[in-house]
Amino acid sequence: MLAVKASHLSKTYAGEGAPVTVFTDLSFELEERSFAAIMGPSGVGKSTLLHLLGGIDTPDSGRVEIFGQALEELAPRERARLRNDRIGFVFQFHHLLPEFTAEENVAFPHRIAGVPAVEARRRAAELLERVGLKDRRDHRPRALSGGEQQRVAIARAIARGPSLLLADEPTGNLDADSAASVFGLLEELHRERGMTTVLVTHNPELASRCDTISLMSREGIGPAPGSPGRN
Amino acid sequence: MRYEVSIALRYLAASRKRAHVALISTISVLGLAVGVAALVISLALLSGFQDRIRSQMAMRSPHLVVSPVRGDRLADPERVREVLAALPGAVSVDPVLEGRGWLCDASGRSCLPVRYRNISRGPLRLSGDGVAPARVSAPAAVRLGAEPGSLLRVLSARTRLSPIGPIPIAVLVRVAEIRRGSALEKAPDIEFPEATARLLSGVSTGARAYEARLADPQKAELVARVASSRLPGGYRVQTWRELNAPLSFALRLEKAVIFATVALVIVVAALNIVSNIALLVFEKKRDLGVLVSLGALPGSLSRIYLTLGALVGLIGTGVGLLVGVVASVLLDRFHAVPLPADVYLLTHVPFAVHPREVVLVGVFALATAVGAAVLPARAASRLAPGEAIRLSR
Repeated sequence: MLAVKASHLSKTYAGEGAPVTVFTDLSFELEERSFAAIMGPSGVGKSTLLHLLGGIDTPDSGRVEIFGQALEELAPRERARLRNDRIGFVFQFHHLLPEFTAEENVAFPHRIAGVPAVEARRRAAELLERVGLKDRRDHRPRALSGGEQQRVAIARAIARGPSLLLADEPTGNLDADSAASVFGLLEELHRERGMTTVLVTHNPELASRCDTISLMSREGIGPAPGSPGRN
Repeated sequence: MRYEVSIALRYLAASRKRAHVALISTISVLGLAVGVAALVISLALLSGFQDRIRSQMAMRSPHLVVSPVRGDRLADPERVREVLAALPGAVSVDPVLEGRGWLCDASGRSCLPVRYRNISRGPLRLSGDGVAPARVSAPAAVRLGAEPGSLLRVLSARTRLSPIGPIPIAVLVRVAEIRRGSALEKAPDIEFPEATARLLSGVSTGARAYEARLADPQKAELVARVASSRLPGGYRVQTWRELNAPLSFALRLEKAVIFATVALVIVVAALNIVSNIALLVFEKKRDLGVLVSLGALPGSLSRIYLTLGALVGLIGTGVGLLVGVVASVLLDRFHAVPLPADVYLLTHVPFAVHPREVVLVGVFALATAVGAAVLPARAASRLAPGEAIRLSR
């Protein structure tokens, strides 16, 4: 079954001067439970593609289906529920809420789902233990290292047990050791939880450890040479 | 606790660590507190004066007056007197006998037109020489050069026949008391005992109206309804509030105008809250985008900032109410604002805190603060999350 099916996507941003077209007629598919890497030069719309797949942005034209469900057909409330329950995001700059502790950050997806605060924090503590940050649960993001911040962000992304994990250059801001560690964690969680993972990265070495590698350019997206991917 | 409230509370607490936001939010809270305190103190000041005016009104006016709907005489004065005397809480019932005439000094060289009536409150000490005692208004006494003990002559507009033809009815009175004037009542120029008033007005029995004083003037409306139900048609029963309706209206209008004027301070403070929260929305754009990526609804983002507005409102209003109430109570208790007693009837500026007004100010301030948050909260709910995250990289 296809986890992701994006057909003929176009996206243009209203820039300060002329509108900026990010991509036109872009199509992308991904099998369930696959670990896919997307590579490509900066500015071709890799992050935008992840935002469209995750439903936090809408295409100007085209259609996005997640596990057979067309996002455009969902009401805002249903789309929010889908993001909460089935999609996890990891951003390049962790984007943790600075006023809250690691545990509180990880508890947010549960709190948004309506889980009582105490239970949400208990589940968050378990996840932090899983990602190796048991002792850092009461630390604010600024008291954590880059690698730790990203681990907390990963814990937050998988808090609700998503089927699809969208990771936008999760190692792009880390040193080599931290990057390897964070990527290792993503690999483990992918296998452990049977998720479909889409990873945007500039690191060929890390990309090579994924099931498929797609190469994105101004012309579109397709399988990288030598990759077994569908695109 | 909902997560929106947790975030709003944390934003409020965390903003103290960022100097610029802290300054703006402190100004917002302080501005609101100052506005609320100013409004509470202004209303307490006004209530202090108005309470005195109302108590004077209740003291100086008859609490109930029964008069005929048509004509200038009561059809059945005895029945009216009995009904009024039997009312619950009735302390005294007196007829109203009044008229117009001339008041002259004993020599008859100086006269002035006056309005007279029988004594409405407080007995007058008899002079002992059989001359009727009188209470004279201060302006009349000054114009006639009268002092307590002076003899004055009252000439009625009515006449009686004499061998030399019709002559005005005249009565000699002795000044027992000079009454200081008050803007609160349309007091007659001279008052004397009922018998003298009957003689001058020619009303030997009955009265133009009857008035009653009650033990508790605040129950006048209730007692008036009882009196109306016990009296036949053709009588008008008025309470002291109705008799002073124009003044009561003026007092209410004065309070409303002061409220509206001083409340502008709160409105200005609310504008501060708008800018403060709008700044926070801008600053937290990325976090809002992240919350949406985690499944938050636009309505929830809006609720965060409405809650923040409510929190700022609660703190500002709470502080303002506390300061306003405490200041008003202290100002009144320690007579902090003295008045020259020879100019005013009061020795100090009175302050009276009415709980109803405090609640009104609190509700107004809180509603204004939450209202101020609506605009930035709506902006937060319309945020494009993808763009917020993309642009904050």
